[in-house]
Amino acid sequence: MPNDRDALESALRIARLEARVAGLEEALVRRSRELRELQRQLPGRELLNLSRRAAGLPPVPQGRYELEIWRETTALSTASVEETLLDLWQSLTPTPSAQR
Amino acid sequence: MTDFVSTPPAAAPARKATLLVLAWNRWDLTEKCLATLLATDLENAEVLVVDNGSTDETPQRLAATPGIRVLRLEKNLGFVRGNNAGIAAADPESDVVLLNNDLIFNQHDWLPRLRAAAASDPKIGVVGARLRLPDGRLLHAGTYILPDTMWGQQIGSLEQDLGQYTTEVREVEGIVFACAYIKRELLDEIGGLALDFESYFEDTDYCLRARVAGWKTVVCGSVTLIHDEHGSTQNDPDSLGRLFQASRATFRAKWGAELSGRYKHRLLWQSIMNFPTGYAMSCREILRALDSERVEVAYRYVYGPRTVFPQNEPENSEDYRLNVLRTRRVSWRPKAAVVYGQADVFGSNRGRVKIGYTMLEVDGFPRDWVRAAQKMAEVWVPSEFNRQGFRDSGLTRPIEIIPLGVDTNYFHPGLSAFPNPHGEYVFFSAFEWGERKEPGLLLKTFNDEFGCDEPVRLVCKVINRDPGLKLKEEIRALRLRDQGGRISFLFNQEFPHYQLGSLYRSMDCFVSVSRGEGWNMPLMEAMACGLPAIATDWGAHREFVNEGNAYPLRIRGTIPAIAKCPYYAGYRWADPDPDHLRHLMRRVFEHREEARAKGAQAAREIADRWTWRHTARKIVARLAALGA
Repeated sequence: MPNDRDALESALRIARLEARVAGLEEALVRRSRELRELQRQLPGRELLNLSRRAAGLPPVPQGRYELEIWRETTALSTASVEETLLDLWQSLTPTPSAQR
Repeated sequence: MTDFVSTPPAAAPARKATLLVLAWNRWDLTEKCLATLLATDLENAEVLVVDNGSTDETPQRLAATPGIRVLRLEKNLGFVRGNNAGIAAADPESDVVLLNNDLIFNQHDWLPRLRAAAASDPKIGVVGARLRLPDGRLLHAGTYILPDTMWGQQIGSLEQDLGQYTTEVREVEGIVFACAYIKRELLDEIGGLALDFESYFEDTDYCLRARVAGWKTVVCGSVTLIHDEHGSTQNDPDSLGRLFQASRATFRAKWGAELSGRYKHRLLWQSIMNFPTGYAMSCREILRALDSERVEVAYRYVYGPRTVFPQNEPENSEDYRLNVLRTRRVSWRPKAAVVYGQADVFGSNRGRVKIGYTMLEVDGFPRDWVRAAQKMAEVWVPSEFNRQGFRDSGLTRPIEIIPLGVDTNYFHPGLSAFPNPHGEYVFFSAFEWGERKEPGLLLKTFNDEFGCDEPVRLVCKVINRDPGLKLKEEIRALRLRDQGGRISFLFNQEFPHYQLGSLYRSMDCFVSVSRGEGWNMPLMEAMACGLPAIATDWGAHREFVNEGNAYPLRIRGTIPAIAKCPYYAGYRWADPDPDHLRHLMRRVFEHREEARAKGAQAAREIADRWTWRHTARKIVARLAALGA
């Protein structure tokens, strides 16, 4: 009977869709858990770069000028003032109010 | 990058000048030279190209070049005879400017500036320019020659050009004749280049002949030309070598006695110079300055095995002059010797007249230092602070104050700068992490006083060589606020000393909150560069820091000097006032014109009173007084 077959197909489609939604909800919960874990574990700069990459933007330039990014050592490294300062300034996020 | 070219020259009568370009083949070089030369300000000047027997297309090309006169020589007579032929062909009333054909003229007013420098003193006979390689490195800012080796050296050679040696008129021993402005009066008196030389040494020879005749040689620091060195002969290194050695032998025979005779004093200097320490850096500067002040100094390393610093010193100081001083012969018991270092090595002094030169960062000196100092004919310290410390500690020998200094060729306000493009005001401090420098006070106070939303930043150049010190933990323990003033660190980075002026110039204010200083060289160098400075109002640097040229930081009193350094035990140092530091940083941040004015005043005072030449002259005066 056409009406019974239609009802059966409809019930099956609903069941498939409900299963898919349940799967997506489960994936969303899992993904949210992963993101919360990333947020807990990653330094601020890495998180920022993750967001920037996801948005198709280049990462913030890396510098060795912030506490979290240092490699603790007693060895001295030779550097050029010009290259170092250009690198330092490039690594900084300016304050919005900065006026020179 | 800021520009370091100075203000235009004062108007000077445009004496006629013959610009003599010597060319031999390499039309590609001559063409570029002439094209750039003819585009500059050549008022009252004639361009005379001496074609030194070229066999390539040069003769035909020169004939087709407008705006020049050509003197064609049938064969290559060499640099000296070629130039002399040009001098003979020049207008007999005109000054002459000798120019290599591998120069590129990228400065429109180069000739008026050289002219003005020549006119600034009737006794100036020869004027040279700064020469730069095409890759941006400085090639020449004058020359010097030591009698020991008779090998002329170029000043500033191969350093990145950051605006060093830009004093408008600076007297030197000699210049290279790739660009040499020679006054007509001097040419009339001593003639052209000496025929003793085919090439090499003829320029130093000419400057020495001029000096003997009472004329000065100077470099005009506001003129910089590009020199593609040895362009005309670079394909023939063998002939260069032969020419050089032959000319050197001739030069030695001619000038050896004259150059050796320029020294008025002999001195053994026992110290340290090839390690990155404060004594070593200042030792190098003092040695250079003493040589310039006619003291024949021989250097010996005073530390090493069985001393407080047992390392052997590396032989190469990467400075020709210092390497020569290190190899000079000296008798076992020279007439006079200075030990420059910690007083616990004064006992190594080998002189018949023994001088000990030292400093310390607290208000007294250890007993064994005083015992060693008692055996000196006299003791030198850089400051009244240390003289008082020695007296209070019981030293009864004569004590003379010999201040340290700054090389204002490398530390001046006109240097290239690489400022923060984001527009934040930048406080800067440079220190080795430790109790004496009080880094915690600086970081905490800055972070507390400012907010992260304010356009201001503290940059700290931090050195840590102590494996027992965990800097990250030390800084985390300060619990700096995320919302507080923002701080960046240049961690364990060593810059060539000649570049440090550029580092200071790139910042806005120098801060030194240390508890005690034996001199505070970074502070003095920053002030010489025109930076306003905040510095603890206690210690040796009070010699040159005052309310008029800086922001002295009040102290709450003195406290026991507790640190790893064993020399401080039992003595005291300053306790800088955090509230006043907070106030001063805010004051500088909000009153930038006032701060800039103080910085400018500091630069003037340091250039006038606190250079290494001043140091060397005081030493010479003491040597004379001691009969050494």
